[in-house]
Order: sequence, then C-alpha cells, then structure tokens
Amino acid sequence: MPALLVGTRKGLFVLSSDEDRRDWEVSDPLLTGWEVFHAVPDPRDGSVYAATNSFVYGATVHRSEDRGETWTRAEELGLPEETGLTLEKTWHVRPGREGEDGRLWLGGAPGVLFRSDDSGRTWKTVQSLVGHESREKWNPGAGGMCCHSIQLDPDDPNRMYVAISAAGTFRTEDGGESWEPANSGVAADFFPDNPFPEVGQCVHKLLVHPSRPERLWQQNHCGVYRSDDQGRNWERLEGNGLPSGFGFPIMLDPSDPETAFVIPEEGAENRVTPDGRLGVYRTQDGGQSWELLEGGLPEPAWVAVLRESSSFDDGGVYFGTQSGSVFASADGGDSWVEAATHLPPILSVEAADWR
Amino acid sequence: MLAAEVGGQRRFDVEADTVGSALRSLPVANLVFDERGQLRQLVNVYVDGTDVREHEGMDTRLSGSEEIRLVAAIAGGYST
Repeated sequence: MPALLVGTRKGLFVLSSDEDRRDWEVSDPLLTGWEVFHAVPDPRDGSVYAATNSFVYGATVHRSEDRGETWTRAEELGLPEETGLTLEKTWHVRPGREGEDGRLWLGGAPGVLFRSDDSGRTWKTVQSLVGHESREKWNPGAGGMCCHSIQLDPDDPNRMYVAISAAGTFRTEDGGESWEPANSGVAADFFPDNPFPEVGQCVHKLLVHPSRPERLWQQNHCGVYRSDDQGRNWERLEGNGLPSGFGFPIMLDPSDPETAFVIPEEGAENRVTPDGRLGVYRTQDGGQSWELLEGGLPEPAWVAVLRESSSFDDGGVYFGTQSGSVFASADGGDSWVEAATHLPPILSVEAADWR
Repeated sequence: MLAAEVGGQRRFDVEADTVGSALRSLPVANLVFDERGQLRQLVNVYVDGTDVREHEGMDTRLSGSEEIRLVAAIAGGYST
C-alpha cells in the first residue's frame, strides 16, 4: 500500500492510500513536538527512522519498529570534542544496502556525516568527511551547513555520494574512507571571482538514478544539472523551458533515466513560486527541454517546497509545501491531487511501501 | 516531550549528591545535556522551586529529599 512519511515543523504524519493514489488518509501526528527534518522507511526490516530536532532538546534520531506507535532514540550521537564542532541539526537518514545489517548513514549540520552499525542506537562520526582538507572553503547556506543528500550506488557497495550546502557534492569509492569533490562544471555564481571552484557549490538536492546509477541529477542554487559519469562532469540544464534555475526539490522516474521533475522558485532572494504559479516542470529528454505540469495544482499559489519535501516511487511523484499541503500524482505528473492540507509547515516527504 | 520519550513517565526517584548527577542518571539525559555535557540553553532546572542558577548550577548539592523540576524555557521569538 503506498504511503508517505511527511515530516513537519510539528511532528510526523503518515499518509496512506491505495494503488490509485487519489484518496489519502492522514494519520494523527507522531513524534509530537519534534521537527522532523526527514523520515524514511528501512526496507530491510520495516522500521522507520526520523531525523528529529527540537529547539529545546537538540538534534537526534528516532527509530520505530511498529510504524510509529512507539519510538526509541539514539543513545550516542555527537561530534568528538577534538573536531571543535558541535552537532546543530540532523537532516537526512539513509538506510544501508540489503545485507548491510544495522548500517545507516546520517547527515547533519555543520556539514557532518555519521554511520551506525547497530540500527541507529549509536552513531560514529565519519572523520574523513568531517576533517576533509577542503573544509575551510565550505560555507553555511540559509539552513545551516547541512549534509542533506546521501546517495548509495546500487551496483557498487563502496561508492556513495553526499551533498552539503554550501560545500558541494563529494564521492567516495572506498566506503567512506576518503572523499573526492565532484563539482566540475557546477557553478557557484555567488563567487564572481571564481565561479567554478573545486568546492563550495550550493547543491540543494542530489539524486542518483536508481536504474542507471552513473547518472546523477542535482538541483542547485545555481541551476539544474545532470552528470552521466558519476559526478565527474556536470551539464547545466536550465534556460530551455524552466522559468528559473533556482529551486530545491528534484524527483525522478525510477523506470526512465531521461525523466526528472523540479519545482522552480523565483530566485535566491525571493524563494517562492514564480508569478504565483505552482508548477512542476518535467523533462523527458535528460534535461534538454522542460514542460510545465499544472493539472490539479492551485493558482495562484505563493508557496515554497523545501529540499527534502519531494519523493517518488514506482507509481507516483509527491511533494509537500511549507504551507502544509501534500500533492500526489499517479500519472507521471500530468495531474495532481491534494493529498493533505492544513498540515504544519512541511519539511520532508518520503515514499514508503506500507505492506 | 521528555515524558513521551520514556513511555509517559513524568517522575523519577533517584539518589544523587548533586543536581547534575541526578539529571545525568535520567534516561533523557542526552536531551537535557548537549554532547559536551552542558545543560541545554533552554532547559531550566528548579530545586524545590528555586532556579539552580541561583545556587551552584549543576554542582548544587542535594541532601536527600529535594524535588527537581525540568521546565522548557520561555522562548518567545524562536521560529517554532
């Protein structure tokens, strides 16, 4: 049964539907009081993990083995004193691969990555990234210096990617022992004296295509990009139907590597839908051209969609707004239904298979 | 929120010499203290109704029958 884990400023909501994805049931809030930056199902054992933050009680990770009825919390999570850093926020949880029992990855601010090998009870700092030689060239974005994207190569157990705003994309090919910047061709227009640095790019969201894992997509502060060589080189894709290169979410079609969806915003200084037009823009030719999809979406709608607030599965694409609405499409974006409304500000949306 | 983290339990009986050691024995200690062991900024601690900042903070001595209360601070202006 399709479900969506919707993290909000005030707790987690579970939306559930049937295969048509037109009618959605909204749960009562879970993890009340916590800001749920991201919640994700672990397909290996059916548990759910949530990156949770509180302005009183700090940053942590919760785990549920009974679909949100009861939760346990990380016992050990923090940065070693010698790093000189303290954990500000938890942003993104990524379960490990099939066969990597108990392994999870956790991204947070300030630009940090953790690994757990005991199903989230304890977390170890990935020192190779926290102490990366380029770190002094990283800068925080408006949301802090967040490690918000963690993508595993489905074919190579040692290759994975992280993206940090504003540090850029990094690739490891040795399971996290070392990290190489993967930002060639990605602009940092906010550095006018050096707009193509090795690091410092403000990537907003990074995705690996599940069926063609050498293909990466990213929505950046400075444009939409595609790479066909594991992030070694990037091609900028805007200016061919997109009203703006600025935005946060990006969605894919797992069955078609040529298809992607973005939701542009007017620009960095006015982060809202251009001209009040809430539009999902789809490419079906690898980003060479984009078309506006607006069926079922409200107009005017002066809204914004945050970087974690979109998702996709085999049968749908989904996104949630800061104004508390969730939209779902079961026909590749041609038409949308409002699956939920009047939720607290939405921070994250993740598709789950709730069987 | 703290009670929800421990199945709804709102009261614990603990034996400790100081306020700090009493709080560190709680199952929510890693929410009350940060990773450096410092009391979080927006957590207020009262011993028999008096803010521990008026005593010795976490080093405030306990004699055996005090009631310690944890209260989230008023935080007007925070983006919540």
